[in-house]
Amino acid sequence: MQNDPTSAQAGSGAPQVVGGRLRAWRMNWIDNSRYFPLMLLLPVLIFFLLWNIIPLLWMVGMSFYNYSLITGMPPRFIGLRNFFDLYDSYAVWGSLGKTFIFVFFAVGIETVLGMVLGILFWGSTNLPGRRLALTMLFSPMVLTPAATGTFFRLIYEPTFGIMNYLTTLVFGTKIDFLGDNFWAMPAVLLVDIWMWTPFMILITLAALGSVPRAELEAAEVDRLPWLKRFWYVVLPHAKFILMLGIVLRTIDAFKVMDLIYQLTRGGPGNATEVVGITLFRKAFEGFTMGWSSALAVITLLIAIAFTSIFLYILNLRRRGAQS
Amino acid sequence: MRTNWRQKIYHLVLWLVSIVFFLPVVWIITGAFKTKDDLLAIPPKIIFSPTLANFIDLFSRHDFFSSLRNSFLISACAVIVAIVVAFLAAYSFSRFKPRGTDFLMFVLLTVRMVPAAAVVVPIFLMYTAFGWKDDFWGVMLFYAMFSIPFSVWILKGFIDGVSPRFDETGIVNGGSRMHVLFRVILPQVRPGLIAAFIFNLIFVWNEFLFNFIIGGKKTTMIPVSLVTGSISQGGVDWTFVAALATVYLIPPFLAIYFFQKYLLVGMTFGTVRGEV
Repeated sequence: MQNDPTSAQAGSGAPQVVGGRLRAWRMNWIDNSRYFPLMLLLPVLIFFLLWNIIPLLWMVGMSFYNYSLITGMPPRFIGLRNFFDLYDSYAVWGSLGKTFIFVFFAVGIETVLGMVLGILFWGSTNLPGRRLALTMLFSPMVLTPAATGTFFRLIYEPTFGIMNYLTTLVFGTKIDFLGDNFWAMPAVLLVDIWMWTPFMILITLAALGSVPRAELEAAEVDRLPWLKRFWYVVLPHAKFILMLGIVLRTIDAFKVMDLIYQLTRGGPGNATEVVGITLFRKAFEGFTMGWSSALAVITLLIAIAFTSIFLYILNLRRRGAQS
Repeated sequence: MRTNWRQKIYHLVLWLVSIVFFLPVVWIITGAFKTKDDLLAIPPKIIFSPTLANFIDLFSRHDFFSSLRNSFLISACAVIVAIVVAFLAAYSFSRFKPRGTDFLMFVLLTVRMVPAAAVVVPIFLMYTAFGWKDDFWGVMLFYAMFSIPFSVWILKGFIDGVSPRFDETGIVNGGSRMHVLFRVILPQVRPGLIAAFIFNLIFVWNEFLFNFIIGGKKTTMIPVSLVTGSISQGGVDWTFVAALATVYLIPPFLAIYFFQKYLLVGMTFGTVRGEV
């Protein structure tokens, strides 16, 4: 009996030493390496090469070719003709215009509404059941558009939809929201606004939270009028986070695809055909891979521009914080 | 007394706003418990006798459990791979600042900012050429890549917030670099890890387009089966959509209930810190 614990100890002790030695050997190899930073980066770089660089080169290369999956012909080099074709294409300019309208109204309305509601929620810290209320408020943005978008089709449905029940109650007429040339875009916008206004509320709350309490109290003591208080005290601190939020929202609105695809498939006609939908349709319904790659290159350039703006604002804020 | 009364009105208004935003979701969830006639009834039925028939129908579909399993498995594996890889890279970016750090961070962000519809074309061509379509590893690793940029951004922000003094102390006291990495730094960036984990999980869980294009029978996740399975006999099977959507909405909803303080960091790439 007395022997057992000691032998157990010895038994457990021995592998530990070996393990320790093994580990020490392994660590030395890593610790002495000059390339340690690179070793840490290696997995990401491999991922990067496989899933970004290769597809990117593929895309850029393909944009110089005439390649259709339907004809079964091998890709044919046509130089910049795809890009000239894009420039002349009525559909491309149309969808860029639709995207612009969509982004402009979606981001504009979401920002205004989000700021108003965000300010409303500013003093909500002792709201009973706050956590549940905020969960309900923020849930639209984390739910998949594949589900909510599909379901909004039922809500907009002319015969069974609740939306048309409301319009008949109020206006006495039915509107085929998603099938009507004029109404399709506002209907899609409404869903987007429902989904993403909570995001702007969140951003506004964060922005308001970044205002130092002391300055707010000073303004309170000075009895600054409400509007001045907002303009001179709140906004200088809040503006960076607000701008970041607006740029992020612009980028996301520019990316919109599965929501509209679920709601209208870009229709009726091409009333809601934003760039994402055009790309998808040309690539996977028209199977013109060369042409779609060219359009994808263009959207990539636009995305790079947006990202630069985002980073510019971010650096502005860092510099502001340091000085 | 009067302020108390005013505060009650204020709280009531806040709750009303929250409920208004939640109404469409309520409509989906109640729809899942209605019969087809009740769901399509005009005027809408507020009061109805709930039925579980839709869920029984849903669970009896042979592809439901396979796509549920795919959804869980693919999103969890992808996010775990992404976070491990991203943590190492973020540490390297934050501490050693190798040449090209700024450029790589920029590129990583751009990857996330490009419209999915633009990325999907070359990915589709590549996957067809390599024969990776409808392959668990192909789809899972794609989603890992999908999650990496966001994770690197979040984790770099958090590691930047940990003073390099900790690393130095660790090294001086004889700790190895791996010890510093996993025993000193890792515990201090736990909020960042949690935020990256939860939000990547939500993003992958919600992703539709890529799964639609590069997935197949073996790798179908729920959004795709929701979209493709919703059509029956020419019309849309609304009760099926409602039931499947209800099951599907539960995890994201729970995630933002329990991890609400990470919501801000999660929705802004870790660039805005703080609680709401």
